[in-house]
Amino acid sequence: MLIFVQRLGRLVFVFFVVTFVTFFLLDQAPGDPAERFAGLNATPEVIEGIRAELGLNGSLIERYLRWLGNAVRFDFGDSIVTRGFSSWDLIRESLPKTLELMVFAEIMAIGIAVPLALASARRPGSFIDKASSSTAFGLLALPAFVLGIYMSFIFGVKLGWFPTIVDNLPGLNDDPLDNLRQMFLPSLTLALNLVAVYLRLLRSDLIETLQEDYVMLAQARGLSERRIMWRHVLRPSSLNFTTAVGLNIAGLIGGAFIIEVLFAINGMGRLVIQSVILEDFNVVAAVVAILTVAYVMMNFLVDVLYSILDPRIRHAAR
Amino acid sequence: MFVSTRRRTLAILVSGALVAAACSGSDSADSPDATEAPAAAAEAEPDETPDDSEPADMPDAEPAPTAPDEPAPLEDEDQLTSAGEGNVDLASLEPIAGGEITFGLTNDGTGFDTTGAVAPGSIRVITALNDSLVGLDADANWQPNLAESLTPNDDFTSWTITMRPGLLFHDGEPVDGEAVRANLQAFKDSPTVGFAMAQVDSITAVDELSVRLDLSAPWAALPYGLVGQPGWMVSPSTIGTNETFTGTGPFILESWTPGDGARVVRNPNYWRADEGLPYLDAINFKFLVDVTVKRQAFEAGDVQGYVSPDDEDILDFLDDDETDVWIGTAGANEYLWLLNTTAAPFDDLRVRQAMAHAIDKQFIIDAFRSGLTVPANGPLNPSDRWYTENNYPQFDPAAAQALVDEYEAEFGPIEFELSIEPNASTIEVAEVMMSFLTDVGIDGKIKEIGQGQSALTAILDDFQAFSWFQFGSPDPDSDYVFFHSSGGFLNWTNLVSADIDAGLDAGRQNVDEADRKAGYAQFLQALGDEVPMIWVDHLNGVEAAVTLPELHEVEHVVAEPEVGLLRQLLRLVGCLDRAVT
Repeated sequence: MLIFVQRLGRLVFVFFVVTFVTFFLLDQAPGDPAERFAGLNATPEVIEGIRAELGLNGSLIERYLRWLGNAVRFDFGDSIVTRGFSSWDLIRESLPKTLELMVFAEIMAIGIAVPLALASARRPGSFIDKASSSTAFGLLALPAFVLGIYMSFIFGVKLGWFPTIVDNLPGLNDDPLDNLRQMFLPSLTLALNLVAVYLRLLRSDLIETLQEDYVMLAQARGLSERRIMWRHVLRPSSLNFTTAVGLNIAGLIGGAFIIEVLFAINGMGRLVIQSVILEDFNVVAAVVAILTVAYVMMNFLVDVLYSILDPRIRHAAR
Repeated sequence: MFVSTRRRTLAILVSGALVAAACSGSDSADSPDATEAPAAAAEAEPDETPDDSEPADMPDAEPAPTAPDEPAPLEDEDQLTSAGEGNVDLASLEPIAGGEITFGLTNDGTGFDTTGAVAPGSIRVITALNDSLVGLDADANWQPNLAESLTPNDDFTSWTITMRPGLLFHDGEPVDGEAVRANLQAFKDSPTVGFAMAQVDSITAVDELSVRLDLSAPWAALPYGLVGQPGWMVSPSTIGTNETFTGTGPFILESWTPGDGARVVRNPNYWRADEGLPYLDAINFKFLVDVTVKRQAFEAGDVQGYVSPDDEDILDFLDDDETDVWIGTAGANEYLWLLNTTAAPFDDLRVRQAMAHAIDKQFIIDAFRSGLTVPANGPLNPSDRWYTENNYPQFDPAAAQALVDEYEAEFGPIEFELSIEPNASTIEVAEVMMSFLTDVGIDGKIKEIGQGQSALTAILDDFQAFSWFQFGSPDPDSDYVFFHSSGGFLNWTNLVSADIDAGLDAGRQNVDEADRKAGYAQFLQALGDEVPMIWVDHLNGVEAAVTLPELHEVEHVVAEPEVGLLRQLLRLVGCLDRAVT
């Protein structure tokens, strides 16, 4: 319980620090959103009125506290550029796409990396081990945007198997086939970089675990190789892997931003890029706040998962 | 499908390998810059004239040679033909109604409020949703469009606009006199764009279908002002609404997702429906910021056309016989520097002339536009009917040096700051221009201002020189307020010139073409003599639409350069012989 409270306290602290720093940086940016919003002929009174309406009046601390008070009610203010839409409207539109991209990418990455790592660890130096290791190094060296262009060109332009852009993406419930078809290439592109990391990490941990006495004991007792690998080796070898997965989910946000541009996905990445370019400060602040919460929450969940995977951590915390 | 596919394949693989080699180990840190640049470029451009964002034709473009036994090429100024391209038998192309296309846009829209500054991306979509009160014919003369007639009084101090009977907005409301009055009044009252109608004293609904505009001074060219945004009509209940556009055009806005695109569907009550318009059932406008993404989507058939702002992309497609490249007839923006003529050192004509002499425009065009643009000596393109030559100082470093020496002997070194929005490609051009100035002893520094702050900064006169994109309207009268000394705060350079004022007034107040042309000649000459701006190029040619050959124009309707390239494309899609769903 104590550890939960401590982690929660850390979450709140990080949230305050990150959102305040973001607020401070946005405040330092040149230009006055109220003046831009007001138009060319606006009188100082009109500009002041708009400043109040947009919540831009008062000192930095005042504005931050006001914003914070509204943010906890998911009221992040209106978009200054795309008038008629609130920041939350825009986030609500794009967040599900980014989440779907990240989840699919993680599933694909884990789905590819775990079997490959098991096969490689079982027969180190075998063809499959060498081939997967070489491929992993190759994928690690390829930035996501280069990989994305290749994937799009080969599977979209040349083979025509998948669309090169995501357009009018139906919901997973509405048309799962079309949804999966459109999201396949971007998810795979994002996943392939992860595969390399997961594969290398898991493979080395698996090889190490395979040297443990209890594994030899299991072998001596005549348990099947498959059973030993999946039930007795994989779990204790998953600590680093779990850490990497947890951290990468948060790190995926950065990769997702690039993939969203490459495949024209209207996700959080495109939203934040556009908002920064157009100085739509309310939207930027809202996105940063949500990403911060997501990132810290993810790390919190990884910590919790640790203690489940390795009881020693749980006991140490007590 | 494409002739040069193999070459492109090789190019992509090689370039990808090079990038990979250069960037291995980094998680694409360079990518955002590379992918955002086009969008950033578009957004950074101050775009004060709502109707000037469309490209124009290339004046030096020549029709493609045609084999004797082949059908005649399209007699279409918009289609910049390359070898073998444009050889289309018009008679064989019958419009096939139905189907839908996806069309790639470079710029995202920011909304549809007709009483505010409308972003270029929004204008593209609005072209499908809107018909203006007035249009331009093939000779760029104004013609009533939604309006049935526009009638002036004897001295052009009052105009009566009479609407066609039976017109409906997309929501079924009538396009009557009161609706037109409400739209025009809202535009005039707008703090953002109302300056364009500053000369209108009052707007009165005369009867069910008519509206009268009473003016403070004669304005014979007023109908030209109603070709663009002031002439856009939306249902009165939605005036000032940013998230939707309830217009009168051939398509109805079905959805718009900021950052993603918009979908428009056929308007069954379109006032030209008896002509079979529009041909398509729907158009998906898809916002595609990256040129590589657009191109791959086009080659994969995921989009059937897109607007390319990339000169190399356009050149490549011009070599491709199986892709059509369309460059519109409208005036494009010009790239220029504004000089604040009320502040040193640009309050001295010699410095302004020296700057103009020092900069090699053709070098800029060759280095940054692949030679596709035309050098500018003023706001009017040489292909423009109102264009006349002037004495704007041409590239002559020796003359520049002499002027600089003369000035410096009197006042000391010439130093200035160039205000510029933070756009990498524009800054690159500006830096090269600075280097030309350095060669003759003028020391310039770049001062970045906030994104979208250009207009405000210019209005507040908080600049010495300003990197600027603007003008190129189909009729010069639309640029009146930006040059005329009584244009108030919108006289960008603050230059007071009797010749400029007199020329613009002559163009505004006269009906006779010769008189108007004489007025604009006087205006252009004064601009060349006074040099309040450093002109670089007319940006026609650096933006074009590429389309599949299935999309051809079969209808030579009233040319509407003012609503631009995309609207023309919507005309083109009438010959969609393969429904894309």
